[in-house]
Amino acid sequence: MSVGAAELLPTPGGGVELEFFESETDVAARTPLQLFWRRFKQDRVALVSLGFIIFLIVIAFAAPLVVDILGLPGPNTQNLNLTDSFGSPLGPSASHPFGVDQLGQDVMSRVIYGTRVSLEVGIIGTGISTLIGVVVGMLAGFYRGWVDTLLSRLIDVQLSIPVLLLGLGIGAACSVRGCLSGLIQPGLGVIIFLIALATWPFMARIVRGLVLSLREREFVDASRAMGASDARIMFREILPNLAAPILVYASLQIPLNILIEAALSFLGVGIRPPTASWGQMIASATPIFNTAWWYMVFPGVALLLTVLAFNLLGDGLRDALNPRNAR
Amino acid sequence: MRSIRTVAATAIVALLALVVTACGSSSSSSSSGTGSNSSALSSGGFQSPLNEPLTGGKRGGTLQVLDETDFEHLDPGLAYYSLDYEVVFATQRPLYSNKPNTSTEATPDMASAPPEVSSDNKTVTVHLREGVHYSPPVNREVTSEDVAYAIARGANANIANPYIGAYFKSVEGEPAAASAANGEPIKGIVTPDKHTIVFHLTEPKAQLVSEALLLPLTAPVPKEYAEKYDKNKPSNYAAYQVATGPYMIKNDSSGKVLDVGYFPGKSLTLVRNPNWKESTDFRPAYLDEIQVKIGGSNTVIGRQVLEGNNVVNNEPSTPQSDLKLAVESHKSQLEISPGAGSHYIAVNNAHGPFKNINLRKALWASLNRTALDKARGGELFTNVMTHFIYPTIPGFEQAGGLTGPKVDYNEHLEGNAAVAEKYMKLAGYPSGKYTGGQTIQVVGAKGNPTEQDAEIVNQTLKNLGFNTKFTLLETSTMYAKFCNVPKEEIDVCPSVGWIADFADPQTVLNITFNGKLIVPTSNVNWGQTNVAKLNEAMTAGESVNGKSARASAWAKIDTEIVENAAAIPFDWDKQGMLEGKTVKGVGDLWDVGEWDYNWTSLK
Repeated sequence: MSVGAAELLPTPGGGVELEFFESETDVAARTPLQLFWRRFKQDRVALVSLGFIIFLIVIAFAAPLVVDILGLPGPNTQNLNLTDSFGSPLGPSASHPFGVDQLGQDVMSRVIYGTRVSLEVGIIGTGISTLIGVVVGMLAGFYRGWVDTLLSRLIDVQLSIPVLLLGLGIGAACSVRGCLSGLIQPGLGVIIFLIALATWPFMARIVRGLVLSLREREFVDASRAMGASDARIMFREILPNLAAPILVYASLQIPLNILIEAALSFLGVGIRPPTASWGQMIASATPIFNTAWWYMVFPGVALLLTVLAFNLLGDGLRDALNPRNAR
Repeated sequence: MRSIRTVAATAIVALLALVVTACGSSSSSSSSGTGSNSSALSSGGFQSPLNEPLTGGKRGGTLQVLDETDFEHLDPGLAYYSLDYEVVFATQRPLYSNKPNTSTEATPDMASAPPEVSSDNKTVTVHLREGVHYSPPVNREVTSEDVAYAIARGANANIANPYIGAYFKSVEGEPAAASAANGEPIKGIVTPDKHTIVFHLTEPKAQLVSEALLLPLTAPVPKEYAEKYDKNKPSNYAAYQVATGPYMIKNDSSGKVLDVGYFPGKSLTLVRNPNWKESTDFRPAYLDEIQVKIGGSNTVIGRQVLEGNNVVNNEPSTPQSDLKLAVESHKSQLEISPGAGSHYIAVNNAHGPFKNINLRKALWASLNRTALDKARGGELFTNVMTHFIYPTIPGFEQAGGLTGPKVDYNEHLEGNAAVAEKYMKLAGYPSGKYTGGQTIQVVGAKGNPTEQDAEIVNQTLKNLGFNTKFTLLETSTMYAKFCNVPKEEIDVCPSVGWIADFADPQTVLNITFNGKLIVPTSNVNWGQTNVAKLNEAMTAGESVNGKSARASAWAKIDTEIVENAAAIPFDWDKQGMLEGKTVKGVGDLWDVGEWDYNWTSLK
């Protein structure tokens, strides 16, 4: 029988942590969500990060509107008149606050649209890798034995493959016609596939370790004694107890995945032009950095702030969900 | 017709985005026929191979050279790239070679006089200089048999020279030697005495063969010394080579240069050839030593050269930002060389929407070629391309010079929507936009400025209503896996470029537009142009003799290519090169983008 898994947070001692807060009149038990929020809102850095991420999400969804409101040209609008007689791009001005690139495309407009790619890759890529990692980790930890051995070795093998080299290989192989009979399309599809392929083992290892511990707990024994199936035990009893660590780890994985996308795009196997991507913009800016600093600086700053915000948010979530590990 | 092997090699040339050299023609004809107009050859007041003084250099000193990339082949029987040529033409003496300021008026080098051509254009006779000796450890005098061996070894599979099938196929016995591929002598190359060599041809193609005699393949190689190395597959003669030119790669007493004077990926040192006699040569060879440092970042190299003294860069593609800096702040350290080949957009004439000639014309009409050239550095470093024979190649002026053939889709350099719409309608799209529903595959090359070229072309296609699948790849992958492979059916390759092996219009147009030369791999007729009339004209053009007559014949072919909109031209390139503050650099018009060590000196 479940003991209300949503209220559970795994702790090093294996116990269930409940907090009680006294008011002037009586003692009231708070829900885990209330407890979380109470702790989280005290972390101002995490709150600011959350605010920034929400801002990014709004920008990403409303990119065309934002660009329109700011009076900027579209991200792919080329205007070679905005380059000098050598073809070098012109710097920041009132009409182009972040300057333009070698094709006369507005850098600010492209930075705004680049938000979409980064968030799509970060969130979707992390979602898929989390899904795979959780399933594999649960199966390995729950069944142990040969299943664990097999899956753990698979994880070891996967972890031994360098992500960027794998990315370069798959990116190159799938760059024109796609791969797997067109299932993986060049560009965003390849990047998300790569990220999912490369990062699920990290989640799987964490989940496996937690499941190995949780499967020995009384509530699992109780559920088993009541005749629950393995699937029910895994997904209805154990999984809810993993929500917090999964959430924390996933939030920290998002910025890593954004950086992987940027790195792959920088190396030329990521997002395909003319779609704006920060990594690709930084790569294009490298040869002309001496004469067009703005082209590298603005997407670079956007990338830095986004990754920083997700990292700080992840730290805040970890502290709020598991106060014993707080900084 | 050229062999597949040659096609492959030529493709590599183009693949490296204009790294290959253009060579001069023989002096067998009196008429220059270059037809290069002054604007096309302008360097904007900066140094140019055309205005450099070739005399008065100071003797002595060591020149430092910074090359981002390594050499490909230093064996004269295999050298193909411009970077290789800078070394090979300082260390070897082909029968003919060019002075730095020309690509069309070859000077007898190992030869003592221009080639003698028989009245039936089937025999070419060349007399050799006397008194030219090999560097140590060979030391002996060069004979005509050495030249015959040098050319024959080109047909040896262990060397596999890329030119021999293309330009010497009409030499009697060459095809047999090539198929035997074991280094046997070529029947049609005979040496009646120690200083005479005669080429017997099966077809009247003396002009083409004479012009090809300035390829490094004709530099003498001592058989008794090289044969043991040539038996290896591949030949390792390059590692033990001897020199006939003013310089030699530093070697040990056995003649070994590998890991003595040449460290692959790291450095190469040229020192004076002790057996070279100035009296036998027309080159001054001012410098005592040339030290080439290999590797590093192109951008950093540019800055090092501009701030340095006795240093030059030899990377053909100096970054745009460094060129701009040089123009603005280091004017005396910049040289601009015209005739650096052409860039055009290959559109698939055989498959897909662009099989329709009017769609090709519409794309041509709508393309802003000025914008493309601006992305390549602007007017100082480019001319807008209007046809396919480029400046410095005979036939350029006859084909229309800078303005090119008078067809409406070629007249508007910045693109013209009305003309484009006219051809879209003629193509069967009354709205003026493509509504065929077919997504077209565009495969371009990464890097600056090819990436910008490709993006401008992609946007132009979108403006015409096409849905595109746009991919940027490494240049080598773009060519080898896609644009050079007809079965891939790539619709548009926007980043292709071409530079001639030597200054003859056939070397510009034949292999790139002759339908008979389409091959399954390493194909450089990228658009798969296969027009019977054009093919026949090119076959006839191969046998035209006389430089002026060839220029006219091939100019007509050029015009027909434009009328077929077989490809869409956009850039005649010029190369910017940088030299240190104390260098009196002399660049080569015939080996664009390279300094000539035989003529460069220190101030």
